[in-house]
Amino acid sequence: MRRVVPLLALTVYAAVSLYPFVWMVSGAFKDRLEILEGGHLIPRRPTLATLVDTWSRLHFFDYFLNSLQVTGFTVLGVLVVYSLAGYAFAMIDFPGRRFVFWFFVALLFVPSITVLLPLTILENKLGILGTHAGLILPFVNGTAPLAVLMLTNAFRAIPVDLHDAATADGAGEWRIFWRVYLPLARPTLVTIGVLTAVPTWNEYVLTRVSLNDESRYTLPLALERLASGTVPSYNEIMAGSLILVIPVIVLFLALQRYFVNGLSGAVKN
Amino acid sequence: MAVTTDSVAARLVREPRRATRSRQRGRRALVGYAFIAPAVVLFLVMGLYTLVYSFGLSFAKWNGFSPSWDWVGLENYRDLLYADPRLAPEIRGAALNTGLAMVAVSFGTVLIALPLATLLNSITRLRGTLRSIFFLPYVTAGIAVYYAWRYVLEPDGAVNLALRAVGLGSLARPQGFLADPDTALPTLIVIMIWGSVPVAMLLYLAGLQAIDPAVTEAASLDGAGAVRRLRHITWPLLVPITVAIVLLGLRDTMQGFQIFLIMTNGGPAGHTDVLGLKAYQQAFFQSLSPTLGVASALGWLIFLAALLLAVVNARLLRGQR
Repeated sequence: MRRVVPLLALTVYAAVSLYPFVWMVSGAFKDRLEILEGGHLIPRRPTLATLVDTWSRLHFFDYFLNSLQVTGFTVLGVLVVYSLAGYAFAMIDFPGRRFVFWFFVALLFVPSITVLLPLTILENKLGILGTHAGLILPFVNGTAPLAVLMLTNAFRAIPVDLHDAATADGAGEWRIFWRVYLPLARPTLVTIGVLTAVPTWNEYVLTRVSLNDESRYTLPLALERLASGTVPSYNEIMAGSLILVIPVIVLFLALQRYFVNGLSGAVKN
Repeated sequence: MAVTTDSVAARLVREPRRATRSRQRGRRALVGYAFIAPAVVLFLVMGLYTLVYSFGLSFAKWNGFSPSWDWVGLENYRDLLYADPRLAPEIRGAALNTGLAMVAVSFGTVLIALPLATLLNSITRLRGTLRSIFFLPYVTAGIAVYYAWRYVLEPDGAVNLALRAVGLGSLARPQGFLADPDTALPTLIVIMIWGSVPVAMLLYLAGLQAIDPAVTEAASLDGAGAVRRLRHITWPLLVPITVAIVLLGLRDTMQGFQIFLIMTNGGPAGHTDVLGLKAYQQAFFQSLSPTLGVASALGWLIFLAALLLAVVNARLLRGQR
């Protein structure tokens, strides 16, 4: 009894956690008629046609590639820009180091809604509004507080003897960074990569106010357009939703360890 | 520092080379600046410029198209807080909803995540699998999941049908849970709690696993019952985690309006308006009216509230040390 009760309670909450996903799958496997017949969970005429249709005829494959591009470059940008900065904050002494470091961390408190409007005005002036670069650059910048904090800490945790030894061998900062410190910080890099990729993949608000050209849509935006059409059909919306969530779920399951460690670390900071 | 520890002899040796040393230090500083340059440039353009711009704009009226701004001083802030007979009550309503959601989400999250983590910590079999399942709402947070919720909350959606099937038909909402003024905001709050339980649970779980089992064992050998062990050993360790979770919940709920935008867009009739959503609508959906200044001012009021929270946060954390 004492064993069964906790397990039962946990199973109930697992069902609560899965609830919308179960219906997402159910809806995605129904056809246009059956989705209107109301809320039975198991499709009576399960069909792959809705998913196939959404993927090809509704161009979700193209939107998937767009999402992949935006997310990929954002992650790459974050890792390059902030591992350089984190290394400097941790290892190189220069005037103003602490000040600049805390400036980046303080950015954490700026709500995104405060800068959303001026950001679009600025991008309009620069001519990058509506392009993927116009999404990637602010996404990278938005990750600054988290990435700077975590990477600076990671580089600081590496024994400084390595730096001294490498310097004595005549290696410059760039070589030490690239050959010694970056490989040692790999777990942190993966963690930041995952913590960046997931919200970027799901991002909707900035994307919505930026993109006009349908050929550049990412999955969240494509999904929204699908749902705001004249005759929105929940089987297609659920199929699109499924296409959107499956990659993040796969990524999460594959890199769960990094995720869990990273989140605990991020919140502690 | 280095000078005081160095021996006199060493200092004598180094003295003639001071010029080269300072030159070396200057070069090191340059290397440092080169390393942080990409991050700083990106921040100056995407971060600082936009902040300064929106701060300036919050004291002006502008529709986004006319060539110049009309400076109006504090009028935008006054309009938002009390002066504008149409806008001010709307903002007050949105602020009330925001505050309500902030408190309800934070405490609801603690109320579910703590027992969940305790239970999860008490089992060994299936722990990993269950933790992964509990985590799904966090990784998928966004438009796809919100549409799935909309689907089950429809008038003839799964939730209503389930309620009717188990004889709770009186709780079902014929218009759907999101179109009913009585249930719209509570429903969104429940979904937000559902979405923030994973991280809270994870933090509690980490806290519980950090408790040394030897201490608990010793306490029970000394005759401390389960309740006393909870009060004197477990709870003190969980207080800082709880504070962190509550503050995180307050912050995220105040700043995040995506779920409101996607699921109800403030409706029905303003019952789910929140501050972030108001700022968003003033900024992007007023076509040619000069509301960009008001939108910026509202953005800064939200920023101010976020800073206030951060200060409270720092105070509380310092109090614990």
